[in-house]
Amino acid sequence: MHRKSKSQRKRGRFYFSREKQNRPLFLSWVAGVVFLTADFAAAGQTAKPAPWDGSRVTPVHQIPLKDEFGQTIVPTERHPLPFSARTSCAPCHDYEVVRKGWHFEAGPASPAGRPGEPWVLVDDRTGTQIPLSFRPWKGSFPPSALGLSAWDFTLHFGRHFPGGGVAEPSEEEMAPGSRWGVSGRLEVNCLGCHNARRSQNPSEWAKQILRENFRWAATAASGLGEVGGMSSRLDPTWDIFDGPNPDDTEWAVPPSVRYDRTVFDSKHRAFLDIAAKPDDARCLACHAAAPAAVPKFDFDEDVHTAAGLACVSCHRHDVSHAMIRGYEGEGKDHPAVLSEDFSCRGCHLGGRTAAREKIMPGRLGAPYPKHNGLPKVHLDRLSCTTCHSGPLPAREPARVRTSRANRLGIYGIANWVQDMPAIFEPVYLRDTNGKLTPHRLFWPAYWGKRNGKEISPLRPAAVLEAAGDILFPEKPVTRILAALFNTVDLPGTPVLFMDGKSFEVNVDGGLDAAEFPGAKAGEMRWAMKKDGAILPLVADFDPADAEAAAEPEIFIQKLLEALRTTEAAPGEPVLIHRGFQYKIVESQVEKIASPEDAATQGLFFWLRDGRRLPFVPEFERRTVGALANSGKALTEEQVRRVLETLGGPSSVYLAGGKVFKLGGENSLKSEDHEAAEPVAWPLAHQVRPARQSLGVGGCTDCHRTASEFFFAEVRGQGPLLSRASSLRPGSAYMNLTAPYHLLFGMSFAVRPFFKIILGAAAAAIGSVLLAAFLLAVGRWAGLTEKGR
Amino acid sequence: MLAFLLLAVLSVGGLVVRQSSLRYRAANAADAAQGKAPAFSWPAYFSWLRKRGREMWTKKTLSRAWAVLKSWSTDHYPGPLGWAFAGLVASFLYQAASGLAFAFFVPRGMFGLALLAHVGSGGLFALSLAAVLFWRARDYGPGKTGSSTFSGFACPVFKNLSRSEVGKMAFWALAFFGFIQIATALGSMLPVFTFRAQVAMIGIHRYSALALLLSALLFADVVFLPPPKKYGDTSLICPQKWTDK
Repeated sequence: MHRKSKSQRKRGRFYFSREKQNRPLFLSWVAGVVFLTADFAAAGQTAKPAPWDGSRVTPVHQIPLKDEFGQTIVPTERHPLPFSARTSCAPCHDYEVVRKGWHFEAGPASPAGRPGEPWVLVDDRTGTQIPLSFRPWKGSFPPSALGLSAWDFTLHFGRHFPGGGVAEPSEEEMAPGSRWGVSGRLEVNCLGCHNARRSQNPSEWAKQILRENFRWAATAASGLGEVGGMSSRLDPTWDIFDGPNPDDTEWAVPPSVRYDRTVFDSKHRAFLDIAAKPDDARCLACHAAAPAAVPKFDFDEDVHTAAGLACVSCHRHDVSHAMIRGYEGEGKDHPAVLSEDFSCRGCHLGGRTAAREKIMPGRLGAPYPKHNGLPKVHLDRLSCTTCHSGPLPAREPARVRTSRANRLGIYGIANWVQDMPAIFEPVYLRDTNGKLTPHRLFWPAYWGKRNGKEISPLRPAAVLEAAGDILFPEKPVTRILAALFNTVDLPGTPVLFMDGKSFEVNVDGGLDAAEFPGAKAGEMRWAMKKDGAILPLVADFDPADAEAAAEPEIFIQKLLEALRTTEAAPGEPVLIHRGFQYKIVESQVEKIASPEDAATQGLFFWLRDGRRLPFVPEFERRTVGALANSGKALTEEQVRRVLETLGGPSSVYLAGGKVFKLGGENSLKSEDHEAAEPVAWPLAHQVRPARQSLGVGGCTDCHRTASEFFFAEVRGQGPLLSRASSLRPGSAYMNLTAPYHLLFGMSFAVRPFFKIILGAAAAAIGSVLLAAFLLAVGRWAGLTEKGR
Repeated sequence: MLAFLLLAVLSVGGLVVRQSSLRYRAANAADAAQGKAPAFSWPAYFSWLRKRGREMWTKKTLSRAWAVLKSWSTDHYPGPLGWAFAGLVASFLYQAASGLAFAFFVPRGMFGLALLAHVGSGGLFALSLAAVLFWRARDYGPGKTGSSTFSGFACPVFKNLSRSEVGKMAFWALAFFGFIQIATALGSMLPVFTFRAQVAMIGIHRYSALALLLSALLFADVVFLPPPKKYGDTSLICPQKWTDK
């Protein structure tokens, strides 16, 4: 028996003896190394999932959850990691196949197909609403055109993003300055769609994205665990192995998970309530659209939903997640589409696939439409959705809000919903297959540089930096109001009355405006709101009467002292009241007679170098007054000033279908340009019942002189307060000539008489033919005498 | 659609060739009888056709043709009925021209102002056809006009049809297919028929229009165009070898 020498034991190394008795041990060791290596290698490869065995039942998912390193999560551990869909779902479902699905694989190289709703980068301050898409859709910019990296994109839009794709970059794809090492990657969120638990919370997902807790977001949103902490506050050098910082348990707290232990069994397997076919609520979390003017109770769901179909009844896919979008011609755009049966025509009328194979109609009980009295040309030239989907055409397209663009469906303390972009529907345009199709659209608004015919967009941050306070016109007002809050013993909330409205500072530091019938146009005065009543900030008094003026002057001193704390005050605050000027000199209020101001009451201004400056500069006063409650972000004057700071005639601003550039003599000129054209995408839902389709009332639903279908006024909308905007009839978007359709519509006024004429003529001709036929038969049969 | 276009070309072309070849035979009959030329040869026929074509499309011939048409219509459709006849001819000509032009050259089908005019002239066609039929149908009854001299038309199948009989048949065919045109046009405007029926009516309308055109061409050839003087009422329709006499 060989013993290790003392030195060998000290070295602590396994020492290979030349004695033959140790060879079996050595071989066992080698075998163990080989076995373990093979085991690790096998763990690194994705096991081939078993094909569907034909069972119609979703297997019960009582499975171990694993973290991103493939380690089983033990919920009772301290600081367990969040679960990873890539490792937890992978043994049975090929993650690498799934992440190539339609929801996850957007990129310039992926087939564009029919345009869909783009992402919209919105910046209220700069009046920007610019469409972005990784797919090469017309009118949309790739995020890189605005300098947005995958990290920036994930932060901006991860709230309504299902994970994967650009949010799960490889090491090489991580841009410098991004914080993927801190936040982790945002994996495909399988439970975001397939979790049947009612605790699946899209708002929690959005919150975690905002906090940059990407690797924790799925765990938090699914309700499997509570996630605390914020990656956004951590140092860029932090990584998951650092764990929590014991010296900071208040501010820069790393994210951590506390799992719901009731979900786990004794073997640390979690029960996941999986829905193979997701509930509509999962789809609507990101794909909902609702008209802005319709109250919730009055909003009708899609007729297919009312009939018992789910979104996934038509929008199906297999494990590839190559979702069937269900539009006509999808087979031509995506030859590998799983099925072309699920377009409107495919289900209801049948037809042929792109490969000319027959489609049998009637799936899921789809009724066959008789389309009584509908001329064939309508089915050749119009898509089904033209008559059956979206709102009925009106004098103007209606405003609609969508989940992804207007940030709907995220609830919590903060209000996520944003008014911009202003999306409108329906506007009828030619689809990629040449058929008239209802679309949603909005007009892009952004600052840009013109180079010949091309206009390239500028980053909002760059515009903000160049424009400075031009884009913050409310600042002088908010600063003054904020300073007035500091007035000792102020009995109410300071407000400003200007141009028929009252202005008050809100919690975000901006201004809330409300209509105030009592205020006169052109008037500006400072006041207080107390218990619903409006009190003047400086009550009227006679400064010449020392006794009566004593108390008000004490209050004036307090006001002026508070106003001296105004941020960036351009001078000393001064009050003029009935011929006297009040200002603070060496902590005391100085009262000086000013006979020329005898008629002035309660007027504030700034005094600098002996000059009086308006309390609120004229530009800011005009701008705040114009924009208040207008729903707009910019005035023309602001645009002109910003263009001047951006430098040069090549700087432009696009909004409302027009391009604005500097004209001569402090003016702004607008013109048409292709870049200002609206970006549009077809709508397919909500589908209305057949009795609410266009044409149910006859041909004149569309074909008449005042038809909303052809002659709706489509006016360009945007964040700019301006009369200059694109205005076109609906027929212009259809590439149809309005005069012809006016004439065609007029012909329908006489159409009933025309039918009567035709009917009468047909009856007369028919009767003559019948008589001749009977006569001929009679003669032939010898029943009547032949002509003499 | 391709079938329709082929049928249109073959049938209209065939009828034109048939009728003109018979006139050629009649014109060539004397020489053929004397053995100076064969009764019919295609090269000679096409040469004759080219020559006749050049002669027809002169200002003199056209104005003479207009005078013939005018005098014929004044004789047969006096007074207000002349307007009905004029309306019938004008509307038919436009509808035939527009229908054929779009069928052959515009795959999308008829649209725009052409379609609007086509439909509008359809109303005129219906009214004028009804008026013509109402007042003139009796004149196209059996034995009412023309001689009873028989001579094969659709020879060698029918051997005993005179020119006037053929004219009557063409008239009634016109009336019948005109009725089909009006009925299918009216049917597609009513919210009664299903989409499949609409598609069928368009097909019927198309083929019926072709039949109407053929009937009109035959009617024009038999009724308007004078027969070759030498042969009167006989042998115009059918080559001599196929006549009874």
